[in-house]
Amino acid sequence: MPELSAEPEALAGIAGGWIVVAEGIHKTFNRGHADREVRVLRGVDVSVAKGDVLVVIGPSGSGKSTLLRCINFLGPPDEGSVTFLGRTLTGAVPRFRPAERMRYERELRFFRTHIGIVFQHFNLFPHMTAADNVALGPTRALGLSRSQARERSVAELERVGMGEKANAYPSQLSGGQKQRVAIARALAMRPQLMLFDEATSALDPELIGGILEEMKRLAESGMTMIVVTHEMGFAREVGDRVVFMDEGRVVEEGPARSLIDNPQNERTQAFLSAILS
Amino acid sequence: MTFAYVFQWEIVSESAGALAHGLRLTLELSALAFALSLVLGLAVAVARLAPFRPLNVLAYVYTQVFRALSLYIYVLFIYFGIAAIFGINFGPFAAGVVALTLLNTAYMAEIYRAALLSIEPGQREAALALGLPHSRSFASVIFPQAFRTALPSLVNQLVDIVKDSSVVAVIGLLDLMGTTIDLVNNRHAPFELYTATAVTYVALILVLSALAALLERRLARHVSGGSAGGRVARLPRRRFADHPGGA
Ligand SMILES: Nc1ncnc2c1ncn2[C@@H]1O[C@H](COP(=O)(O)OP(=O)(O)OP(=O)(O)O)[C@@H](O)[C@H]1O
Ligand SMILES: [Mg+2]
Repeated sequence: MPELSAEPEALAGIAGGWIVVAEGIHKTFNRGHADREVRVLRGVDVSVAKGDVLVVIGPSGSGKSTLLRCINFLGPPDEGSVTFLGRTLTGAVPRFRPAERMRYERELRFFRTHIGIVFQHFNLFPHMTAADNVALGPTRALGLSRSQARERSVAELERVGMGEKANAYPSQLSGGQKQRVAIARALAMRPQLMLFDEATSALDPELIGGILEEMKRLAESGMTMIVVTHEMGFAREVGDRVVFMDEGRVVEEGPARSLIDNPQNERTQAFLSAILS
Repeated sequence: MTFAYVFQWEIVSESAGALAHGLRLTLELSALAFALSLVLGLAVAVARLAPFRPLNVLAYVYTQVFRALSLYIYVLFIYFGIAAIFGINFGPFAAGVVALTLLNTAYMAEIYRAALLSIEPGQREAALALGLPHSRSFASVIFPQAFRTALPSLVNQLVDIVKDSSVVAVIGLLDLMGTTIDLVNNRHAPFELYTATAVTYVALILVLSALAALLERRLARHVSGGSAGGRVARLPRRRFADHPGGA
C-alpha cells in the first residue's frame, strides 16, 4: 500500500495528524448572472486524519461532488482554503505574476498527483488499453519510464483483479471492470488521499458489492479516503466519520455509526429515513 | 438518332502522357494543401477554443471570412491581386497551394472544433486529476480522441480539395484540368478529352471516399467512451465544391 514516503513535505504535513483540511469553502456557479447564480457551497469545513475514511452523504444537489472538486482543484473554491499534507492552496490563481503563477501550478500539481479521484462514470480514456490508462499518470505526470510505468500499471491492475484485462479497451469491459481499472489508475499514482464520488452509482446492482469490497480493502490497508456514497451499509461499516451535507452546508458530523444509527439533526433524520426505507 | 460527330478516342491515348503529368500536379497540389490545412486547421481550432478572448475572436473571424468567398476569388486575388500590390510573385502552383490552404484551413478548423467539443469534459478532468498539465492532457487524451472523430470528415475534405483544385487552371497551371483545357484547344476533341478527365476525377474521388468510409468504420471502435457505444460524432461538412461559374 502507498505509505508516507520520507518526502519532508509529506512528513511536515501530518504533524497535526490531518492529511487534508478544507476550511470555509464557498463555491458559486454562474457568478454575476443574477438569475442563474447557484450558491452550491456556503462555508464548508471538513478534515480527515491520516488513515481515516470520511463518508459524505446528502441529498442530490447538496454539493458533495462540488466539494470533492474543490479539494483537488478541478473546480477551485471561490473562497476558503485547502491544506493538504501541510501545503495550503486557495482558489486565487495569480494570473498576471509569472513567477507566482509557476509556483501555484507546482502546488496544484502536488495536490493532484498525490490525491486520487474515482468518478461515478469512470472517465476512462477510451482510446487506450486498461494498462495504458493506468500508466498514463505515472509516465506523463510523475516522469516514470515506460517500462517502469508498465510494470506498476500491471501490478495495480492485478491488485484489483484486472490483470487479465490489461490489454482490453474500456469499451470491452463491464461497468464493474471499468471502475476497477479507474481505481487502479488512481492508485498507480501512489496517492496519499483518495476521493470517491459515488463510485458505485452507475453500476448494475450485482456489481456494486465487488467495488465496495475493493474500497473496503483499500481502507483497511490504511488509505485516507473521502467517500461520497448513498451506500449506508458501507458508510456505517467502513466509515470512521460521516458528514451530512444539505444545501451547501455541513448540517451534521460525527462518528459513522452513531450518526447513521442515531442522527441528531432533523434534516439528517429525514434524509436517512428516506434512504434507508 | 445519328451523330454528325466522329469520335476520336485515339486523341485521348495520344495525350495520356500529358494528362498523367497533369494528374500528378493535381495530386501534388492537393496533397500539399491537405497537409498544410490539416496542421493550420488544428491551430485555428485550438485558438478558437483557447481560454483567451482575443485569440477566440481572431480565429472566429478567420473561419467566417475565409469560408465566405469561393476558391475562384482566392486564386485570382492571390495570383494577380497580391502580385500587383506587394510585388510578391507567386507561381501558379504556389498560388494554388496558398488559396486551397487558406480556404480549407477554415473548414478544417470547424471540423476540429466540433470534434474537440464532442469529447466529454470528464476526459479532460480525469487527465488533470492525474496531475497532467493542460498541454499534456490535450496531447495525450483530448487530441487523439478528437482526431479519430474528425478523421473521416477531414479525409472528406481532401475529396473537396481534389475537386476544387481544378480551379487553378484559371491562372494557367497545367494540372489535370489545365492540361485538358490546353489539349482541347489544340486537338479539338472536347467530348473525348473532357470525358477522360471526368472519369479520372471520379475514379480518384471514389477511391478517396472509400478510404474515408473505411477509416470511419475502423476508428469507430474505441472512441467516445464505452457508454456511447463507440459512435462517431457526425460532423458538419461542406456539401458543394465551389465552381468557377458560381463565383
Ligand atoms: N458546472 C456547473 N454549473 C452550474 N451549476 C452546477 C455546476 N456543477 C454543479 N452545479 C449545480 O450545483 C449543485 C450541486 O451539485 P453537486 O454535483 O455538487 O451535487 P451533489 O451533491 O454531488 O449531487 P448528486 O448526488 O446528484 O451527485 C447542483 O444544483 C448542480 O446543478
Ligand atoms: Mg455528485
